[in-house]
Amino acid sequence: MLKQASLVLRDGTTLDDLIMQDTNEVSLRVMTDEELYGHEMERIFAKTWLLLGHESEIPKSGDFIVRDMAEDNVIIARDREGGVNVSLNVCPHRGMRVCLGEAGNKPIHQCIYHGWAFKPNGDFIGAPVERESMHGNNVDKATLGLKKARVHLYGGLIFATWNIEGPSFDDYLGDIKYYMDQLFCRTDNGLELLGPPQRFVLPCNWKVPGEQSGSDGFHTLTLHRSLMEGGVMGGTAETIYDQAPGMYGVDVSCEQGHSLRCLEAEKTFKMFADIPFEGKSTEERLNLLTPPGITKEMIPELFKNLSEDQVEQLATFPPQVGGMFPNILIAFIFAPRTDGGSSGALALHTYVPRGPNHVEFVNFIFAEKDAPEQMKRDMLQNSVQQTGTSGTIEQDDADVWPVIMRNARGGVSKHMTLKYQALHGHERPEGWKGGGLLYPGFTKDDTQWNWWMAYHKLMSES
Amino acid sequence: MTWVTKSTAAPDSTTILRGLSSRRRVPVGSEVYNRLLETLYDEAAVLDERRFDDWIAMLSPDLVYQAPIRLTRTGANKDRDVMRTMFHFDDDYTSIMMRMGRLQKSAWAEDPPSRCRRFVTNVRVGECDTPGDYEVVSYLFLERSRGDNPHNETLTAERRDIWREQDGAYVLAKREIIVDQSVLGMSNLAIFL
Repeated sequence: MLKQASLVLRDGTTLDDLIMQDTNEVSLRVMTDEELYGHEMERIFAKTWLLLGHESEIPKSGDFIVRDMAEDNVIIARDREGGVNVSLNVCPHRGMRVCLGEAGNKPIHQCIYHGWAFKPNGDFIGAPVERESMHGNNVDKATLGLKKARVHLYGGLIFATWNIEGPSFDDYLGDIKYYMDQLFCRTDNGLELLGPPQRFVLPCNWKVPGEQSGSDGFHTLTLHRSLMEGGVMGGTAETIYDQAPGMYGVDVSCEQGHSLRCLEAEKTFKMFADIPFEGKSTEERLNLLTPPGITKEMIPELFKNLSEDQVEQLATFPPQVGGMFPNILIAFIFAPRTDGGSSGALALHTYVPRGPNHVEFVNFIFAEKDAPEQMKRDMLQNSVQQTGTSGTIEQDDADVWPVIMRNARGGVSKHMTLKYQALHGHERPEGWKGGGLLYPGFTKDDTQWNWWMAYHKLMSES
Repeated sequence: MTWVTKSTAAPDSTTILRGLSSRRRVPVGSEVYNRLLETLYDEAAVLDERRFDDWIAMLSPDLVYQAPIRLTRTGANKDRDVMRTMFHFDDDYTSIMMRMGRLQKSAWAEDPPSRCRRFVTNVRVGECDTPGDYEVVSYLFLERSRGDNPHNETLTAERRDIWREQDGAYVLAKREIIVDQSVLGMSNLAIFL
């Protein structure tokens, strides 16, 4: 049974009062409301698939990392059979964290409080002084394991959910999978994480960066003006609004709230060199402008792992930035270097809620596993210099978000609205092969509104 | 100096390397020590006062400027907590110049600018194998004031530097900033450490 808009806050405010579908507005109050935050923990973060890391972080049996599924701390460990397990890092005995380190290798995880011990897959082994049955006299050991999450590996990315019987990962991805595959499932040996993620905490609600991850292309032109001034995106400071570099393309989205901005390669390429694509085959185009992270030697692998249509898109309209609902940002960016190189930057972020007023920004930096060592080195530098803590692009985002958050606290300001009224409407470009909701032309608010609609849908279901 | 950065996310590659590695100590109060200490004080003032051209003049063109991330570790590996495969800063002279160019234009993260005060203490100096190169290890305590926020953002770190004698002054050839937080409490690093 569908219970639409069943969410009512204690003061009588409904979800539809906060997310106004007739005018495409969202009340700023959503960013600070503690009651709403409590519902988000249950209705979104305990229900949907969440990104935790990459299996290249735990290559060997017994390897583990510790991450957060919103405010629930989990252990991600590889077992002896090679499987990846995600278990709640809460001892079922007295609630202590079982694993206190952030990463390492342990065949057994033993709680330091009373010594209960667990396998990498979360199964309970026993409590000390076996003869005294300190786990209880009449309790089946099989019931005393760490609480296990449901796990799915996608292109080596580790996703997990507490929704054991819920939608499959493919259902969660929906029509965006066709496009995501072009980024995450395109080579024989896939991606690898170049190191553990950068982590830092911002004083703002998770939805402030969250809604931006729904493919806010427009802010690049203004907030990231220094990209244009520095010549990274083509044009000069004087021609920013005339040329609007990076603004035109096809934004793709789906009802699950995910989205990607597919920018025309020829136009992106023109920013760096004037070689037209006309009359050139997919393979020739890929050789002219290899997607970020791909070497010319890897091009045959693209044809092997993707459909012909997918490769053609990757050569002409490569997905570059976007996100997965609720809290993932994707950046596969062409990153020309000042020294002339252009190996690109591949980064994923998760925006992990830390209470209603804070978010942890987790920055994962990738390269193709089979890329040459020097290319990995270049890509690490590109990503660190452009994204995350010191990244010249995202420094500016991190400066804006906490200020929006402060505004959302004002008795008057919190009733102001975020506006998503520059809408294009779904339109299928001629000859476009992929599915989903499509928005060709100048990047607008459609994909971010779809992000809020996905939020509305989950928050309506108790 | 070459940096071998073997890319891997697996934490086994973590090293313990901290502090001063040179065995030829430059004693506190000696002329070289005093001049290097003066250089560190001058550098802190240059950065606090945002005199970036003066800072560039203190950098060697072969500069390596990195801030590895920290991890929380336990057990036998509890001291292997500096991950030199991932960084908060991973820069060289060229990229520092790129950051400088940006700061002159629309770098909103520092416009309006932070008001920073860098406290540099616990300075230890050793001689490198290359004559004229000195290994300088210091503690950094940074207080950063932003906008009308009455609470400063702070950061503590160990800095492992190589300073090179050149034309009667010292230039920075290498800096490794080992921050103490595994999760930074500072919302960006739009400033230099």
